[in-house]
Amino acid sequence: MEDKPIIEVTGLTKRFKGLTAVNDVSFTVRKGGITGMIGPNGAGKSTTFNMICGYYPPTEGKIFYNGEDITNKRAYEYTNMKIARTFQIMKPLKNLTVLDNVIASCYFGHSAAKNRHEAMERAIEVLKFTGLYEKRHVLSKEMGTPDQKRLEMARALATKPEVLFLDENMAGLNPTETAEAIALIRKINESGVTILLIEHIMQAVVSLCEKVIVLHHGEKIAEGTPEEVMNDPYVMEVYLGKKEEQQ
Amino acid sequence: MDIKKAVGVYHRNLLIAIGALLAVFIAIPMIVKTPYIINIFVLVFYISTMSMAWNILGGMTGQNSLGLAAYMGIGAYTVCLVVTKLNWNPWAVSILAMLVTAFIAGVIFFPCFILQGPYFTLVSIAFAESMRQFIINSEFFGRASGVGLPFGPDSFLQFRFTSKVPYYYAGLIMMIAVYAIMKKIDNTKIGYALKTIREDEDAAAAIGINPTKYKVIAVVISAMVAGFVGFFYASYIRYIDPDLMVQAKSTEFVLPAVVGGAAFVEGPLVGGLIMIPLSEFLRANYARVLPGINMIMYAIVLLVVIRFRPSGILGWYMESKFKKFIDEKILKKPSLDVLEQYELMNYGSRKEA
Repeated sequence: MEDKPIIEVTGLTKRFKGLTAVNDVSFTVRKGGITGMIGPNGAGKSTTFNMICGYYPPTEGKIFYNGEDITNKRAYEYTNMKIARTFQIMKPLKNLTVLDNVIASCYFGHSAAKNRHEAMERAIEVLKFTGLYEKRHVLSKEMGTPDQKRLEMARALATKPEVLFLDENMAGLNPTETAEAIALIRKINESGVTILLIEHIMQAVVSLCEKVIVLHHGEKIAEGTPEEVMNDPYVMEVYLGKKEEQQ
Repeated sequence: MDIKKAVGVYHRNLLIAIGALLAVFIAIPMIVKTPYIINIFVLVFYISTMSMAWNILGGMTGQNSLGLAAYMGIGAYTVCLVVTKLNWNPWAVSILAMLVTAFIAGVIFFPCFILQGPYFTLVSIAFAESMRQFIINSEFFGRASGVGLPFGPDSFLQFRFTSKVPYYYAGLIMMIAVYAIMKKIDNTKIGYALKTIREDEDAAAAIGINPTKYKVIAVVISAMVAGFVGFFYASYIRYIDPDLMVQAKSTEFVLPAVVGGAAFVEGPLVGGLIMIPLSEFLRANYARVLPGINMIMYAIVLLVVIRFRPSGILGWYMESKFKKFIDEKILKKPSLDVLEQYELMNYGSRKEA
């Protein structure tokens, strides 16, 4: 384990007019690792995510990146700090081709391309890496869910991030597609990108993550390796317990 | 090399096609001597240019502005007032007009950018109307009777001609220049930022685009073009009044882009070239038969296009067999892969040089 965490969240709280969506959540993300965040629907995962990514200002709490306080940074400043994200509900640039989608990303971020050629070269590199190269001339609205999810990742990667936040990147995929997505996420991680992901699919979380954070009713109820978390009696009760009853 | 040769042939054919089109436009005033027809072409040129100014906001950025006539009016008023009161040269004032419209668009209009979607459109209408009311009620701006430019002998320096032909060429150059600028923007960082904002503002923020900053850039570019067209219009008509800024005028500038295809840089040109002569033709031939019938027929054409071809004439063309035929048989356009390889290859050789 490296000594310093790349992302550190302390006492993060979000209240929407009296409704507490996230309450006093603290955790750290190790540099170079894959950290997962799980929890039942409505547990506050996406709210936490959106706060870390600058989309919602937190009511209380602080977010540190490499020791620097980034709590009040705006969403569009993140790629300049080498942080990129994907969206749970895919947001492809519908009327642009896949290639143009990625070129747009190449123009921004901390190492923005200076001209069209540079942007295009990098875009093609990213498309080959994510396996979308063959489909680069297709309009992104005409692609299916698996490819749009890949495109989300390709767009994020084109900004050359150091940290990548993946919001339910495998929801809605069948087992084969999930396996492919897992392989891609591992490949991204091996290229030196730290990953924090929200996921519903346990298979993915168990096979990818070195550390898992469990949220329930907006509070962190467990943290540890996937095995530790899955054997935690309280986690089993609130989240995984139901499954065992059905069996 | 094969790729180089194929792309070279395509570029040559494209150049010939563009040259032929340009030659037709240059030849028109030499063949057609009727001032009425020339006037229609001048209308086509300046309305298409205004439509391109709208398109960078409405088509590229997805911010529907319905107040563009106000910027054109501001430009025209700046020119008329400064030329008559301070006796400056009109060409110099045209630059001033662009700066004034850019300033008004960037600074006064700035707070409106927190508004999105239909609210932005409503504010743009209100903004245009309040500018018009302000001018109607201000002695300095000549109230409702407007301002005129001085008449006199033909002079290029004063941009003043009795014949319509010089305005025809000036309008043509203006339209081509604005088109070239828009085409350039479309392919660079600003263009990609604007298109990303149009598709999704959250996604734009996620890749590091500050939506407000780029929306301001789009509005300022749009306003500057409109300000320059205001200069052209004032010099051509030589008299302006606040009716220049009415709502109907703003709408007139939206139509060519929508009919031609708002997603394309060429959309306003195609739409303008079809809709404006059509409107004039209907007015000339049918307005006497049954007053108002020309407007009804115009409206029907518009409804049909929007109902059946929402992506505009170019949107239809891009997917048609006709385009395929032209690309393959006449222009000999190589496949996208080849074009892409050519672009990357070019970059490699430039790097070495």
